[in-house]
Amino acid sequence: MSATATERQQTMTLDGQEVTFAQGETLYEVARRHQIQVPTLCYDPRLEAFGGCRLCVVEVRGAKTPVASCTTRAAQGMVVSTATPAVEKLRQTLLEMVVSENREVAVNPLRGFASQELTTLVHRYGAQTGRFQGKHSGKSNSADLNPFILRDYDLCISCYRCVRVCAEQEGDYAISVMHRGFRTQITTEFNGNLKDSSCTFCGQCVQTCPTGALADKKALRGADLPGEIQKTRTICPYCGVGCSVDIMTKGDRMVGIQPAMDGPANQGALCVKGQFAFDFVQHDDRLKTPLLRQPDGSFKEIGWDEALDFAADGFRNALEKHGRRSVYGIASGRAPHEAAYSMQKFIRAGFGTHYVDNCSRA
Amino acid sequence: MPKPTNQEIVARWRDQPAPLLAVLHAFHERDGFLSSDALDGVSKGLKIPIAELYGTVTFYHHFSLQPSGPTLRVCTGNVCRLRGGLELLEALSPKGAKSMPCAGRCDEPVPVLSGSESLVGTSIDTLRAKPSPLPAPNPGGYAECIFAHIREPDRSTLAGYRRTGGYEALSKALREMTPAQVVGIITESKLAGRGGAGFPTGAKWKAVADAPGHPKSIVCNADEGEPGCFKDRAIMDHDPHTVLEGMVLAGYATGAERGFIYLRYEYPETFRTLERAIIEAQAGGLLGRGILDGGFNFEIHLRRGAGAYICGEEGSLLNSLEGKHPFPRNKPPFPVTHGFENLPTAVNNVETLASVPHILRQGATWYRGLGRNGHAGTKLISLSGDIRRPGNYEVPIGLPLKTLLFDWAGGPYSGRTIQAVTMAGLSGGFLAGDAMEVTLDEPSIRGKGSFLGAGGIIVFDDSRDMVRAAHDAMEFFADESCGKCFPCRIGTQRLTERLAGGAGPRDLSAWTEEVRDIGAAMRATSACGLGMAAPFVSDSLLQFFPEAVRFHVAARHTEKP
Repeated sequence: MSATATERQQTMTLDGQEVTFAQGETLYEVARRHQIQVPTLCYDPRLEAFGGCRLCVVEVRGAKTPVASCTTRAAQGMVVSTATPAVEKLRQTLLEMVVSENREVAVNPLRGFASQELTTLVHRYGAQTGRFQGKHSGKSNSADLNPFILRDYDLCISCYRCVRVCAEQEGDYAISVMHRGFRTQITTEFNGNLKDSSCTFCGQCVQTCPTGALADKKALRGADLPGEIQKTRTICPYCGVGCSVDIMTKGDRMVGIQPAMDGPANQGALCVKGQFAFDFVQHDDRLKTPLLRQPDGSFKEIGWDEALDFAADGFRNALEKHGRRSVYGIASGRAPHEAAYSMQKFIRAGFGTHYVDNCSRA
Repeated sequence: MPKPTNQEIVARWRDQPAPLLAVLHAFHERDGFLSSDALDGVSKGLKIPIAELYGTVTFYHHFSLQPSGPTLRVCTGNVCRLRGGLELLEALSPKGAKSMPCAGRCDEPVPVLSGSESLVGTSIDTLRAKPSPLPAPNPGGYAECIFAHIREPDRSTLAGYRRTGGYEALSKALREMTPAQVVGIITESKLAGRGGAGFPTGAKWKAVADAPGHPKSIVCNADEGEPGCFKDRAIMDHDPHTVLEGMVLAGYATGAERGFIYLRYEYPETFRTLERAIIEAQAGGLLGRGILDGGFNFEIHLRRGAGAYICGEEGSLLNSLEGKHPFPRNKPPFPVTHGFENLPTAVNNVETLASVPHILRQGATWYRGLGRNGHAGTKLISLSGDIRRPGNYEVPIGLPLKTLLFDWAGGPYSGRTIQAVTMAGLSGGFLAGDAMEVTLDEPSIRGKGSFLGAGGIIVFDDSRDMVRAAHDAMEFFADESCGKCFPCRIGTQRLTERLAGGAGPRDLSAWTEEVRDIGAAMRATSACGLGMAAPFVSDSLLQFFPEAVRFHVAARHTEKP
C-alpha cells in the first residue's frame, strides 16, 4: 500500500538545507526547530500568530514580497531564505523605526520576563542609529495606582501581546486596543484603571511585554539593590496546580517572581498570588522567634528548645487522652515546600493517620 | 414614536447576521453618541467583552463616546483641499464642524455630512442637499457596460430597472443555467476585481463554489474609501438593482445564500436607496426564499461602516462585519475558504458585481470586446481635481490616459497645464511628465511603476505644490493606518512628518535615503495593501519632482533647530 501525500514525509528547503516539516507547521516554527534565530517582537509561542511586527519576514522563492514566517505555513517544496542581506536590511530599518518611537530601549530586566527582547534585537542589528526621528507614540498611564502593574506606555510598541495574552491565555479580556495607527493605545473598558476592569492582576501581560512598557512594580522596588539578579526555579506553593516559577533574588533579598514559560503546569501563567504575593517572606512583621501564650493572653518570646518541648508535650497529651485521630495537620500555603513535606511526614509517621491538608488546596 | 429602549435595540439585531455595526448605529442615532450604558447593553447582548467593544468603537471615527450634539463633517480630502474644503471647514467650525477624509463626492466638491444627509457646496451660502451627479454620456462614443442604461429615467426603481432588461439575467440563469455555467461565462468574460486588486472574478467564484462549508456568503464591498474614487456611489445611487442582481447571481453561481453590502458611512443617501431597492426586490420575489418561484434562496443584509478606510480591505471588512476589531487578517487562508465567520465567502467590489448581469445577458464575447488592444471589458474611472469636466467615465480598458484627460474631460483649466495625476485614487502615487503617456490598463500603468487600482485619478495642474499634495496624501494614509503592523503604523507617520517639513535630516541625500528606506520596508513587509501602497506617493514624488523635494529639504536649513 502506498502512502498518501499527507503521510509521506514533507520537505522544504531552509537556508539551502532540505528539512522536513509537520503538516500545519509555520515557517517560523520550522526555523526555530533548526536553531535559526528569526527575530520577532509580536510573537509569543503560546499565542495565535499575529503578524504585526513583520521582523520575522523571510524570502520564499516565487513570492513577490517577503512573507511573515510566523503566519505562513510550510508547504511541500518551498524554498525559504531566512536571512538574506535584503531581509536583514529590512529588519534593521524596521528596528530603527521602532526605536524612533520609543523613549528608551534599554530597560531594567526586573520589569518583566520578556522585557529585554527589544533591546537585544536592537543590539543584534545595530539599530540604535538615531534615524527616523519624529513623534513618540504611546503615553504612560501614571494615574493607574494599582500596586502591581506599571503601565509605562511611553515604551509601548503596539505589538498587542498584552491584549492577546489577556484574552487568549487568561480569558480576562480586561485590556484592548484603542484608536488606530500611530495613535493606538492600550486601554481598559472606558479607559479606566485596571482595578475597575476585569483584570485579575495575573501579570501575564507584564511578563510577555517585549519592551518593559508593562512592568512588575513590586520587582522594580529592587531596582536599586546591588548585585546581579539570580533566578531559582521552584514550584509556587499557593495551591495544588503546581505552577513553575523563578524566584528572583539579589544577594539574599528576594525581589520578585517570574512564571516559568516552560513550566509544564502553567506555561508562563500565574495568578495574582503566585505572581505578586510574596512580601510576607521578608516582611518586618514576620515572626522570627517562637512565642508562648501566657495565662493573661499575652505572648512571651521563648527559645526553640522550650517551644518544641512545649509543643511536643501538647501533642503527646492529646494523643494519650484522645487517641491518634485527634490531631489534624494543616500546612500553610505560605510555608516552603520542605515545611509542607515535614508536616505530612510528622502526621503520617507520628500519628499513623492521613489527617493532613494544606490551607490552599484548590 | 417612542424611542426604542436599550433592550429593544439589542433584541432587534441580536439574532441577525453581522449585528454589531447595526446595533451601534441604532444607539448612535437614538442618543447622538454611544453612552457607557449603551455599550454595556451591547456587550452583554452580543456577548462581546466590554474592553474589546470599547476599543473597537474608538477605531471608527464616526462614533462619538460623548454627547456632542448634531455633527457636521466637512470633507478635507485631497480633492476638496483643492476646492476650498479647508476654508469651508474653518467657516463651519463655529458650528462644531469636524473634518472627514475624502467622502467620495470629488466630482462635486465640497461634501458636508450633516446627520444622515449630504450637502454639497463651496461656501456656507451655497451648501445644499443634491443627488450625486449622473455620469455624462460617453464622450468617446464607446459602447458601455455598467453605464449603458444608468441614465434612463427611473433606473433606480425596480420598474425602471426592468424596463431595459433588469433581472433578465437572473431569470435566465436560474431557469436555464447551472451554477457552473454562470461561473464559466464570468471566467470567459475575463472580468476581474474592479476594486483594485484585479483578481479574476470567475476564479474567485469557482473557489467559493468548490470550498467546503456552509452557509457561504457574498460580500459586496461598498466601502469606497479611496480618495478620488466615487464610481461605486454613482452605480448604487442610480442603478442599485444591478448591484443586487449581481449579488444574487454571485450567490447562485457559488452556492451562497446570504449576502452583505458593506457600505461606507459617508453615503447616507445611498444607504436609503439600497434599503428601498432591497425591499422592492424582496416584494418582487427577486430576493429572499424561492427566488422567481424556484428553489434558490438569497438574502441581502445591508450594513454601514463607521468611518474607517481600512475596512475596504477585505480582511478588515470581514472582521468589521463580524464585530471584531477591524485589523486586516493574515493571508492565507483567503476569504474564498475562510471568509465571513470563517466560511467560504466571495468579497466583490460594487463595480465588479454590477458588471455581472450585463455580461450574462450579452455574453462573454461581447464583454471582452469592449476593451481595446487585447484588453477585456471596461473600467470606471473617477476623474477629479484640476480638470474641466470631472466625473465618472466608463472607459474601454486600454484607452490612452490623455484621451480621457483632454478629449473626454476637456483638459486643464485655461492657462494651466497638467503637472501630475494620481493613480488608484492615492494608492498608486503620482504619474507626471512622459509617464503620463500610458493607456488605462494595468500592464501599461505598472510599466510606469504605478497601478490603475480602483480607478480614481486626481489631476494636479501646474499651480499646485506637489510636496504639499504628497504630504496630504500621506497624512491620509497615516490617519487611516489601522495600527496592526509596524511598518505602516510607524512608516506613514514618519513619512508624513518628513513631507510636512520640520522632521528628518537636513541633508538632502540623508533625507532621501530615510524616505526611500521607510518606503522600501513598507512595500516589502506591510501586512496589507494600505502600507504596501502608501510609499508609492513618496517614491513617485522623489522620482518625478526631485527639484521640489530639494527645495523642501533646503527650507529645513532656515528653520530654527
